[in-house]
Amino acid sequence: MLYGAKLLKKVNFPAATVLGPEASDNEIKDLIEKCGSVFVKPIFKGGVGKKGKSGLIGRALDIKSALAEKERLYFAEHKVGAMSYKAQGVTFEGAVAADYEVYFSITDSTKYRAPTVTLTHHGGVDIEELEPEKVAEAPFDALTGLKAFVIANALSDLGAPKEIVSPLVQNLPKLWDLFHLHGMTTLELNPIRMTVSSPGRLLPVACDFKCGFDRDDHRVDRLGLPEDLFMADDTDFEQEINQLRTYQGQSDVYVINDKGTILSPTFGGGANSLVTEGLGDDAIISSDFGGNPPYEKMHEVMKICLRHWLPQTNVLFVIGGKSNNTDIFETFRAMSDALREYFNENGPSPIFVVIGRGGVNLVRGMGVFKDVLEALGLPYRIFGHDSAMSDVVRYAQTVDKWMKDGGRAQIAAKLGIEEG
Amino acid sequence: MKKNGIENFKYYVGVNSLKDIASKDDKICVLNILGGESRTVTPISHSYSGGNVFFGTSPGRQGQVLETNIGDIPVYNNVREGLKDGHTFNVGVVYLPPAGVRDGVAELIRVNDDLEKIIIITEKVSAHDAREIRALGQQGKVDIFGANCLGIADAWLQVRYGGALGGDRPAETLHKGSVAIYSNSGNFTTTIANYLKTYGWGTTTSISSGKDVYIHFAAPEFAHALANDARSKAAVMYIEPGGYYEQNLKLTKPVVACVVGRWKANLTRAVGHAGAIGGAGDGAEAKEEWFMNHFGVDDVFTPENPVCSAKGALVVNIAHIPTALTAVMKLNKAEPDFPPEGDLSLKPWFGNNQGLDLPDEFDLPIVDAISPYKEQIASLGKQVGAVFPRQPMKDCSGSSIMDAKTQITRVNGVSILDAAMEPLESNLCLNLVRELNDGNDNALFNLAVASGVNLNGGAALAAADAAREAGNSPNTVIAAACSIYGPNQVDGARNAAETLIELFAHSGIPAGDDESADVSSAKPSKEQLATLVAGSPDAKAEAMLAALKARGGKSLFVKYIRSLDGHPTADAVLAALTTTIAWESLMCKRISKLTVRNLPWHVRLFSLHMGASAPPANHTNDSYCGVPMKEVLQSLTATELAYLSLTGKKPTKEELFPFQVMLGLIISNGVGTISAQGAKGAVAADGPETPERVHINKCMIGYLTHTGFAHGGNGFEGIQFLIERFSGKNMTDAGNAKHGLDLKAMAEEYAVKFGEDKKASKAVGEPIRNIPGVNHPVFKGLVVNKDPREVFIADLLKKRGDYNVFHEFYSALVQALFDTGVTKNVFCVNIDAIIATILLKLLWPRFQSGDFSEKAMESSAFTAFLFGRMAGCAAEIDDHTNRGRNMDTRTPASKCNFVS
Repeated sequence: MLYGAKLLKKVNFPAATVLGPEASDNEIKDLIEKCGSVFVKPIFKGGVGKKGKSGLIGRALDIKSALAEKERLYFAEHKVGAMSYKAQGVTFEGAVAADYEVYFSITDSTKYRAPTVTLTHHGGVDIEELEPEKVAEAPFDALTGLKAFVIANALSDLGAPKEIVSPLVQNLPKLWDLFHLHGMTTLELNPIRMTVSSPGRLLPVACDFKCGFDRDDHRVDRLGLPEDLFMADDTDFEQEINQLRTYQGQSDVYVINDKGTILSPTFGGGANSLVTEGLGDDAIISSDFGGNPPYEKMHEVMKICLRHWLPQTNVLFVIGGKSNNTDIFETFRAMSDALREYFNENGPSPIFVVIGRGGVNLVRGMGVFKDVLEALGLPYRIFGHDSAMSDVVRYAQTVDKWMKDGGRAQIAAKLGIEEG
Repeated sequence: MKKNGIENFKYYVGVNSLKDIASKDDKICVLNILGGESRTVTPISHSYSGGNVFFGTSPGRQGQVLETNIGDIPVYNNVREGLKDGHTFNVGVVYLPPAGVRDGVAELIRVNDDLEKIIIITEKVSAHDAREIRALGQQGKVDIFGANCLGIADAWLQVRYGGALGGDRPAETLHKGSVAIYSNSGNFTTTIANYLKTYGWGTTTSISSGKDVYIHFAAPEFAHALANDARSKAAVMYIEPGGYYEQNLKLTKPVVACVVGRWKANLTRAVGHAGAIGGAGDGAEAKEEWFMNHFGVDDVFTPENPVCSAKGALVVNIAHIPTALTAVMKLNKAEPDFPPEGDLSLKPWFGNNQGLDLPDEFDLPIVDAISPYKEQIASLGKQVGAVFPRQPMKDCSGSSIMDAKTQITRVNGVSILDAAMEPLESNLCLNLVRELNDGNDNALFNLAVASGVNLNGGAALAAADAAREAGNSPNTVIAAACSIYGPNQVDGARNAAETLIELFAHSGIPAGDDESADVSSAKPSKEQLATLVAGSPDAKAEAMLAALKARGGKSLFVKYIRSLDGHPTADAVLAALTTTIAWESLMCKRISKLTVRNLPWHVRLFSLHMGASAPPANHTNDSYCGVPMKEVLQSLTATELAYLSLTGKKPTKEELFPFQVMLGLIISNGVGTISAQGAKGAVAADGPETPERVHINKCMIGYLTHTGFAHGGNGFEGIQFLIERFSGKNMTDAGNAKHGLDLKAMAEEYAVKFGEDKKASKAVGEPIRNIPGVNHPVFKGLVVNKDPREVFIADLLKKRGDYNVFHEFYSALVQALFDTGVTKNVFCVNIDAIIATILLKLLWPRFQSGDFSEKAMESSAFTAFLFGRMAGCAAEIDDHTNRGRNMDTRTPASKCNFVS
């Protein structure tokens, strides 16, 4: 909400008063006096949900309890599934008195294949927990945008109390500009509290804000948000690779297990799904480097992969299906050059190399990789596209197991290096 | 008037049957047809489809064509121009960059009323644009495929639209059959078609749907079109998590659904396909359920647990698709389309255990690849050295790259800071054989260079002298000499090198210094023998062989030519030396045969740089610069020879290291430098696609004429500046820290004066001469600025106890400029200053003694630059010769401006 309030201001959508972690005691005190109470919420980067249910939202009626909540929540940890998130400070949000709480979101719906609003005046709870008839979903035309009648129709379908209709119809369409013109993929306000602004007149005030951004949309830059906001859970490795993100060739990576032992540069979104699935926790990274990357990009990507992960790697596993347009010669030349350069600069590393690939300039590509592996004295197997990719994945895992059971030491001895 | 869409859908869908998706009658217009990807893919699609692309667009390229083997495709600035020229089309294929895709779609729809289908190949189209594209398509009643897809292919009609389904050999993958493919993955569309062949299943229509958040032609539309296609008896659907496209599908024919991505539930953002991340109800498990419910099965099909129904089967591994399909079709009493082709068992095409005793379970024997790969592998085995793909090399280099942030150039993977630690001989080799030399290589290379520095009695020396006498700068003097070393001068050595390559290419000998290797299989023909030996002894060859022995160098090839019947020629000895050095790189395919063949030419030109820089008096029958030729041949290194040529005297050990550092720092400054551009322009003009026509000496002249008083000669500015500062100071030894000078006071005095001059000049609007060696456009803006290259060299020399008073003065000067308020922060001392300080320190005693005039100093500074830069430019010449295209450095007329 700290940034959400600022973003909402861009489209003049009312938001609760929010103070950041740097707020002084006096400022917090003033906010409590003005609003009656404050909500103390930990700051998690990356839009982590269900904080309320996890007891991670405090409410304070006085400065003493506000500071106590601040101390409790400032570095709070929040577990969502297997992931654990650590708070980086707290916000103090002025309470907003209201009779109604509204849930509102805009996202691209694959059911309707159109931008769609989801709306209910039974907000403030998990939207999934409400009966379907209490929630309105309204797709609309992206070219004309979110117009007042879309909101009015949705509220009408819900049978919403008449006093909230006009303020919502007037204010909610503003959010389309924030969503559509700033590279968002989802925007959720929950709750919007309908507070009395003047006698007989309600005003929607956003009290929680979540949004997702499109990594491929530069309109996000219009918001001038700090860079580190987008590096929520990125590792150094991911950040380095992401800097190379262009439309010429994929460079998507995700660190699966930083203790993994199979380094698997993977080509193609499909192969990424299959390999990630097959390798599970054996994989260090999940990646997609397909899309016919040019030599320079592939070389740079591989250098970063090797620098971060080769020391712990047992199996360098280069895998993809039968490429349609990715030039195997160019990509393999870039990768094998990077491997040779790594060995030149850092000395040899005991690895077994497994490759599975098909496609354009295949044999030339395999040949160039083979030559480098021979020159480096590394054991290897290179499979064509007539071997089932999933079997090649299992082959890499079998090799990895052998490496863990003493194979690594054997290769190290062959290479004349000490290896634990 | 546009047709109405199909009634079954609440939104517009125009395609009623898979057989209508692609048609022989469709006419295609490709947007951005000359873009990198389209240029490769479109000609193959066009040719495979019998010519279905009628025109393309590429703004600013009207009048150009895209060549294909069945005729040229015309290119226009925009769609309207194409239509105006009489073309019609009903299918648009979009290859535009992501930011241009939405506008391209709008152009296609708004300009052409006949439009029916659009295929968007581009990846990373923003969600913002995708939602507008969806609306545009609906408004315009156009079926859109993609984005982020590889298009459509029809094996029955042998037609493919957009994209590259089937790669560069579509017919190899797309066999006519009875199975339709719908795949979220472009790669898997082809891979699945390949897998199906192993069980005898061919394909009808294959659709790569893309997997962005918006899939415009999605699973419901596919299911409808499948139902209406009599050719398709079944379908394979490859589905990833994310989106509700597959929920409640109305499938009327048997389907094998492959849903992959359960593990992706652990990810918090998409990797690969932008839309392949599931939420609460659209993850892989949910999708598995949707399909299992439709099929009426309760489990995933595996070969061990073949759960399926006549309606279909669910698999989670694409390798199980053919088995599952066969089982499902058996229940439908349908047989495969043709006999199985190949199988999917593990078959390594290449492998090596490297002597390790691997467990049987994965010690798989190497097997022959399927055709045509088997034949390709066989011919690959016969290939010697690297074969680089040719491409336009304007402003591109496969040799050097400069990091724009650090300004540090890397040559063949080695930073110039590391190159500065190596002697010149290593750097010269690094640039051509792409690896740093070992001691033996250096011994051989030093001899090779030494054998060519003495130009006594030759035309090259006369040419250089005449050029010098005419008042030319050092680069022009060397260029004059280079013009003499044309192909006829070096073909003897080049042919000898080629003979050695031919004789030993398939010997399996990995290193050229292995004198114990068996050479008995190398049987030269009469012609080959003539390139290596002569009937009578060659004095120069004998001297070189004696020198090799004295240097302790090992060379298999020298040993070999000595074993032949005859007397080795000097050309053959030179070729044997250079081929030895290059052999390992050649065998590892790091360099090409061409590079090894040209290596003697390069070496001769390196020697010539040095020899032509020394006046004629320094070349005699038995000595060079006063050093007996025997000593030159038997012991001097290339670095020492460069020093000797430049100064006329042999360096001491203390003098040699800083000289080596200076040369190493200037070998290259990236491909954008004028010198590199000159070299590359010369190669491009000769036409590298016929490499024999590229004359290396002329290319060297190209580089030399692209150096001058502003590029290369400007090193003297720093020297001149320092001479002015230190004149009359009675400082004799620049390496003595106890020089007795108050450098701080000298610097402050100059800084104050400079500040006053600057103010005065500013007042009258006159330019002021900048201080050479100070400040840098990249390393600025901090309170204290440092050029990392200067820091590296300063530390290096400091650690060696190598003091340089000029360097210290520069450091004091940048501080003084700040302290006196002339600069707002402490400027850096840049790399040019470092070079000037090192060179001036070396030449200072001779300048002080009057041995060296200021003009000679200028000449020396320029020549020193050339000695370093010849290495980097030789690399660019060799790289461009190997990779470039004819005339590829020219600038298109559209990029040229007229200035009046």
